[in-house]
Amino acid sequence: MKEFMMIFIGADYSDLGLSPEDLQNRMGKWFAWSEKMEKAGILRGGNALTPQIRRVVGENRTTTDLTSAEVKEIVGGYYLVMAKDFDQVQEIAQDFPDYDLGGTVEIREVMVFDR
Amino acid sequence: MEPKLIDHLFRHHSGKMVSVLTRIFGLVHLDIIEDAVQDTFIKASINWRNQQPQHPEAWLTTAAKNRVLDIFRKLKTERNHLPKLSQGVDTIAINELFLDTEIEDAQLRMIFTACHPKLDARDRISFALKTVSGFSTKEIASALLLKDDTVKKRLSRARKVIQKADLQFKIPRGKMLRERLESVMEVLYLIFNEGFHSNTKAQLIRTELCGEAMRLCQLLLKRNDMRLSEVYALFALMCFHSSRLDSKINSNNEILDLKHQDRSQWHFPLIELGNSMMNKAIETETFSCYHYEAAIAAEHLKASSFETTSWDKILKLYEALHSLQPMPSHILTMAVICMQSNNYKQANNYFNKLNASDLGQRAYLYYAAKADYYASEHNFKAALKHIDLALEKVTNALEKAYLDKKRAIWLSANN
Repeated sequence: MKEFMMIFIGADYSDLGLSPEDLQNRMGKWFAWSEKMEKAGILRGGNALTPQIRRVVGENRTTTDLTSAEVKEIVGGYYLVMAKDFDQVQEIAQDFPDYDLGGTVEIREVMVFDR
Repeated sequence: MEPKLIDHLFRHHSGKMVSVLTRIFGLVHLDIIEDAVQDTFIKASINWRNQQPQHPEAWLTTAAKNRVLDIFRKLKTERNHLPKLSQGVDTIAINELFLDTEIEDAQLRMIFTACHPKLDARDRISFALKTVSGFSTKEIASALLLKDDTVKKRLSRARKVIQKADLQFKIPRGKMLRERLESVMEVLYLIFNEGFHSNTKAQLIRTELCGEAMRLCQLLLKRNDMRLSEVYALFALMCFHSSRLDSKINSNNEILDLKHQDRSQWHFPLIELGNSMMNKAIETETFSCYHYEAAIAAEHLKASSFETTSWDKILKLYEALHSLQPMPSHILTMAVICMQSNNYKQANNYFNKLNASDLGQRAYLYYAAKADYYASEHNFKAALKHIDLALEKVTNALEKAYLDKKRAIWLSANN
């Protein structure tokens, strides 16, 4: 078993004009998804990120504060899961609730260092 | 397994929170309030992904209270002045405003604001759906079959009028209350009809519109001074219609007219509720349009089959409704009723009082009814001519399919 990270990329909820009803429905889907992974014993952790962004770029360490509205796609959160391979994580990622909002799930394997 | 959230909890809570916060800060700050409330739901939807709180409603209410302070701070920094809280509300008073009865009172104030005569009649529904029912612009657009931009325009126009006229966030009293109630009932009736009568919409959004109209109507009935016989009649009407909302469409998503609906699918608890509401509604001397419409709906429900419907009674009720509120569509309906009871001569009399153009966008209904009239006389040539006219005018795919089906039958009968 290897450790993988599913990174969620897309527009921030606050920039999409979602209704309370829609938010409740999406929350239900997220909840069901995490519960499913929990039950399968594969969920290692995860977090959601707030939409404020501070970027430090380049040699001059140029610093800019950005809002999610200025950046079309931001990383909204991630989950860490245990799986055999990419194909298996791809299968897990089918239940990601926000594809219809143009969301992306990026799957990355956590690097293991030799001792 | 965690307890499942109550259906529409967020939607209903949104209307409550916007209303209570508006009561505290005043209609002037509606924009900020709506944004703040929206923010709470985004937070909740992310916070609750992994674990839901034990008492979701209490969580939301606490969040709303905390919002009071946030908004207070925001107003202070943005406008560099302390907001004038309406009626000098202090912390203790703020807590009281979050009691259930006070929340209901705030929601009613919002409904009455949405139905203020200064607002354009078309803007009232959109504004009510947004502020009282927590619909998004997009949801309103698909519910009312409007473009997103049109809804945005209506909402901002309504807000401007409210600011410009400096409307107070109050429920009018005495004679004014009665007048405004008329407008409130009309808005609720229109919201309900958007759900019930439009076959163009997805079943889900239709059920939700009807549900919202009924929820708001029930709020009116909780108040002593609003329990007018018309309000009871309106609620009865909604109960009767809703009882057969699910049977209007079959599993293939095809429209079923009254004749072909499976009567065992009707929802009887709603019919019973409608009956008891109707009993309260008729404790009066004068009947409103809602009384007659409810009575007509009840008459349809009483019949055990389409064939045993008492068309004579229904025709009389329509005559009464038409004299109270003359409308071309009533005349057309009466023509159709006469055809049901094989009274073609009288049906023709009604047809002669009408031109297709009287019915505006619904002219196809006139042609379709006339086509039925000719078909019943076995004049399939004329029937086909009229159904073609109807097909030319009809825009909705489901209704078009329904007419096409009829046409095919007559075509084979004609050959």
